Amino acid sequence: MSHPATAARHPRPRRLALLAATLLLAACTDAAPHTTAPQVTGPLCAALPTGTDPGNPTFLAGQPVDEALRWIPTLTTFEAALRASGVLADLPAGTAVTVLAPTDDAFAATFSEDNWDDLMTHHTDQLRTLLKAHLSTGAHPIDDLATAGSTTTLDGATITVTRTGTTTRLADRADTVCADYRATNARIHIINAVLGPLPVTADGTDHRAH
Amino acid sequence: MRRPRTTLVAAATLIALTLTTAPTPANAQSAAQPNQVADLTVRQADGYATLAWTPVDGATDYQIERTAVDTNGTPTGAPTIVGVWRPNRQINQQAPTFADAGFNPGDSFQWRVRARTGTTEQPYSEPITATTTAPWGNPDTPGQQLRTQWETTHAAQYTSDTDEYAYTAAIDALSDRVRVVELGRTVQNRPINMLVIGHPTPATTPEAVAATAPVAINCNVHGNEPGDREACLIMARQLAFSTDPRITDLLSHTTVLIVPTINGDGRANNTRGNSTGQDLNRDYSLIRQPETAAYIRMVRDYRPVAGYDGHEFGNSRAGDLPMLPPRHQNVPQPIFDQSQDMIEGHMYAKGAEAGWWPCPYGCEGGGNVGLSEETILRNTLGLKNVTNSLLELRSSGGQTRPDEGNTANNRRRKTYSALWTFHQFLDYHRADRASILTSRAEAITIQAANTGRLVFRGSRPIPAHPAPHPGDSPPPLDAPPANLILDNAPCAYKLTDAQYNGVRTDGPGGVGTTVAQRIAAHGWKVTKTTDGYYVPLNQPERGLIPLLLDPLGVEKLTDGERVYPTLTGRRNGPLVVTGFTCAANATVNGPVTVRASAALVTTGTTISGPITANGAAGVLLADSTVNGPVQITNTTDAVSIIDVTVAGPLNLTGNTTGTDIPLLAGSTIRGPLTCTGNNPTPTNLGVANTVHGPRTTGCAAL
Repeated sequence: MSHPATAARHPRPRRLALLAATLLLAACTDAAPHTTAPQVTGPLCAALPTGTDPGNPTFLAGQPVDEALRWIPTLTTFEAALRASGVLADLPAGTAVTVLAPTDDAFAATFSEDNWDDLMTHHTDQLRTLLKAHLSTGAHPIDDLATAGSTTTLDGATITVTRTGTTTRLADRADTVCADYRATNARIHIINAVLGPLPVTADGTDHRAH
Repeated sequence: MRRPRTTLVAAATLIALTLTTAPTPANAQSAAQPNQVADLTVRQADGYATLAWTPVDGATDYQIERTAVDTNGTPTGAPTIVGVWRPNRQINQQAPTFADAGFNPGDSFQWRVRARTGTTEQPYSEPITATTTAPWGNPDTPGQQLRTQWETTHAAQYTSDTDEYAYTAAIDALSDRVRVVELGRTVQNRPINMLVIGHPTPATTPEAVAATAPVAINCNVHGNEPGDREACLIMARQLAFSTDPRITDLLSHTTVLIVPTINGDGRANNTRGNSTGQDLNRDYSLIRQPETAAYIRMVRDYRPVAGYDGHEFGNSRAGDLPMLPPRHQNVPQPIFDQSQDMIEGHMYAKGAEAGWWPCPYGCEGGGNVGLSEETILRNTLGLKNVTNSLLELRSSGGQTRPDEGNTANNRRRKTYSALWTFHQFLDYHRADRASILTSRAEAITIQAANTGRLVFRGSRPIPAHPAPHPGDSPPPLDAPPANLILDNAPCAYKLTDAQYNGVRTDGPGGVGTTVAQRIAAHGWKVTKTTDGYYVPLNQPERGLIPLLLDPLGVEKLTDGERVYPTLTGRRNGPLVVTGFTCAANATVNGPVTVRASAALVTTGTTISGPITANGAAGVLLADSTVNGPVQITNTTDAVSIIDVTVAGPLNLTGNTTGTDIPLLAGSTIRGPLTCTGNNPTPTNLGVANTVHGPRTTGCAAL
């Protein structure tokens, strides 16, 4: 995260993050004053629970972030890893968080099944670092991140955030495919590539044998 | 040849069904345009709708369009191409069918179908509108009203471990037909449960269940392939609470064993392996992990005669439902043939009726899959004389289901195609039960005869299904390499005490169970003599034993010593057995006495004279003839008599063999059969004996 820009834009201590989110919500919904439904944006949104479907964005806005992630069906891998590693649970209570959440397809394109199982079962430290590369403090709308131009993730890396047409590009690698999910004290932006420094081990042969 | 018969009958049935029971013919009043699809019908089933139509001459393929409508039939959504039917999808191309799935069950839709000639789109059929079948079970009927987490969340969430336990416990509590038993625990101590389902109630003990020729479905071994598991949970509810005569008939003729989640730890973390990273479907022979060991003990105790093993498959060019039989070359031919009959004879034919697309595993662009590893359940079960198949659910929509970018659509198609398969599996067992049992009996006697070469890796070929499709890409040949063939099979393997009882480090956390425990889990007989532990090959799982105990085993437990027959050819005069004696293809003219603590193993042998064994360590006779009385008393380790003709009385008395159950199977006794004071009581493995004389009550089950 670009600290000067962020500091200028979000000079609030964490305990006010919820209030901040509420204020941003008000700002975001000027164009649609009759609804408080979160406006998720991106090409994947239509394929995710919408309207009154179980797991729709409005419902998730009232859920804790770990619960909300369980409802987004393309985040099976990421959600399980976050849960198994305890990275989210280790954050101080009340920490506002932005989650850059790679899809299952993104994980499958990055890690071979063996490599992923190995990370999940034998290399907890590497896994936690990987996951921290997808988390930052503060519940930031994607537009705010793009305006700031960069963000610093919990692994200490600073990545670029650039608006590219209707989506937003992160670290010159990942594009948002459905941004601006809300959860309690959190924003969730679904992205189509895995961030962080781990090498690509997926070999493009689809799948291991049964 | 079973296959052509079954296929033809099924095809004829299909045509009759299409002509006579098509429930909702499309509007046929408007004049058909050239190349317009005609006679579009739709039939509803659990989670899918079968569209059928009359083929258009020269069509390259067909597109299936679905539009959401309200109760008045007015469109409420955009028309979407949800399916592409290609002529190679099914075995009878003159009656195209497509199983449309992925929609929310219970919603209403309009469908149209059009042919394409090359890439030129022809006119759409007249539309047809229908309401799909809501999730199974009356919401107001106790039991039927249960739903899984996957169902209530419209497939946004998979059913969690705790929700599974609550759901299956509720089924158990509300249905007399269901008993939930715990088979074991995962590494992280999650229960591995099995639903035991029968009508009106399931038999009470594993041995009693075994007597019903049960079927077993292993729903979820890879934690990141959960589609089949959701189908299993739905089917458990249907079996428990359905009043459909078909269901009660099925459950009156067998017991259905459903293991929803053998790999609960992997499922919780969405990993392929278990919590140690071990791929459990590479461990069913070695059983290093508690999960696989639990399943193998279940197979030993409940003795399923047929099985399915659920997976998902990333090959986007595959059919909907890749399937494959056990094909390791040590799998007995009757089990291979029966499994192929189940897949190609039954599933391909029924798939063509329902509109699903089963294909041989691998399928188009399948690559190097579907091989002979005995560590894979498909092969392990085949080596254990279980007719069975792998089931894959194609992970993605692929070329033929273009609307599965929507995750819920994709998940529902996979689960409901698995549900269809599992129901068909039960129907196959019901219809072909006698054939399955005959194949099993033949396989057990073939294996126990211990004839023919042993192969350590290498598959039986899967010939391409006769054209047209769906057999255009069978799995690789996978012939055994010369260095993994043993032409001269031994009689037994001998293990030292260190090999048999020694500490092992190949389990979770560097702690493994002993070879003795694993052999016991497989249910193999072992006899201990003064110089070691002998595992004879004249047993029902003869093809699997060397894979774990021979020095040539690719993934073995230990290097056992090959023990070859000590007695062959003709021998005249009395024979006194001390130590370990193995007779193969021998003729013995004279009385045979097996001394205390000694062991006699025979195959292909004729003994003219009585056999008397009192206090022996083991007596294992297979594929042999005894012209005279046989008396086996007070044996300490193992008794096994398979495919033996005894011209005289047979007396099994006072045999106390610990946890090992004495076997008397597939044999003919031309005299009285006496079974007294044996602990455990002898079993016949479901392979009946012929007894010409009277039998005592201790032999009643034989």
